[in-house]
Amino acid sequence: MPAQAQSVLDALLASPPLQAYLIVGAIMFAIGAWGALVRRNAVVIFMCVELMINGVNLTLVAFADFLPNAGGLGVGYAVLVIAIAAAEIAVGLAIVLAVFRSRRTVNVDEVTSMRG
Amino acid sequence: MTIAFGFLAGMVLVSALGVVVSRNVVHSALFMSGSFLGVAGFFVMLNAPSLAAFQVLIYVGAVTVVILFGIMFTQRPQVRHYRTIINRQFWAGLCVAAGVGAFLSYVLWIEDWSSAQAGNGPREVAQLGRDMLGVSPGSEIFALLFQVVSVLLLVAIVAAIVVSRRKVGTGVDRGVEE
Repeated sequence: MPAQAQSVLDALLASPPLQAYLIVGAIMFAIGAWGALVRRNAVVIFMCVELMINGVNLTLVAFADFLPNAGGLGVGYAVLVIAIAAAEIAVGLAIVLAVFRSRRTVNVDEVTSMRG
Repeated sequence: MTIAFGFLAGMVLVSALGVVVSRNVVHSALFMSGSFLGVAGFFVMLNAPSLAAFQVLIYVGAVTVVILFGIMFTQRPQVRHYRTIINRQFWAGLCVAAGVGAFLSYVLWIEDWSSAQAGNGPREVAQLGRDMLGVSPGSEIFALLFQVVSVLLLVAIVAAIVVSRRKVGTGVDRGVEE
């Protein structure tokens, strides 16, 4: 096998560095933040918040795997984050249902009864 | 490993973009579950296979189904114009989000991670279980956090029931009407 093909194969088989995981998590967080800022539907806003939480979770687990002094405890924190996100989605969707019953809409810019 | 990483990164980021720009709400929910599946693949690559199982069970299973129920109760699944799904801050929001993403990526990229080495994750389920219960050295705080999260889940379930419950004898369930 020629040397160039060997080096390309080595690059393809090497494990990605820590920065790669961190940047994927950061871009995922940014996409979720964009969606939470621009969409009007409250349910889609919840989905985008879940995307942001997942980006942060990915960062936590990447640190737990790569940093030697972390001891893998970031995975435990990620489990706690998943539980809290599940609680948040349950309460949030209950609030969305209650708002829909009284206002007939889930668009967040049409629910303005508390505007001063 | 790089091939798997590229595939998973593309899946996660394309699905995340699909959540934001999809005009059909149901498509957004399905894109979201695809993005969560990609993150579960990353967890496997990062030596946390049990966390990947949690991710598939809780996010791809439970959260997606709950969100689909929310969509079912609150709107008809139909394609809408971008005018009606996006508020007026479209470009401003894009600029802010791109700025945040670029800044985070830059800070994480210039940092010196030369001492980091892969392979410290709790690959064994028994190790993760000891960490979660606060038995293994260095993880004593989890004995408290585990209980706090349990109470939080209970409170959240009761709150969800109380908030979404109809008062007896008042009004009708308008989601069912049409």
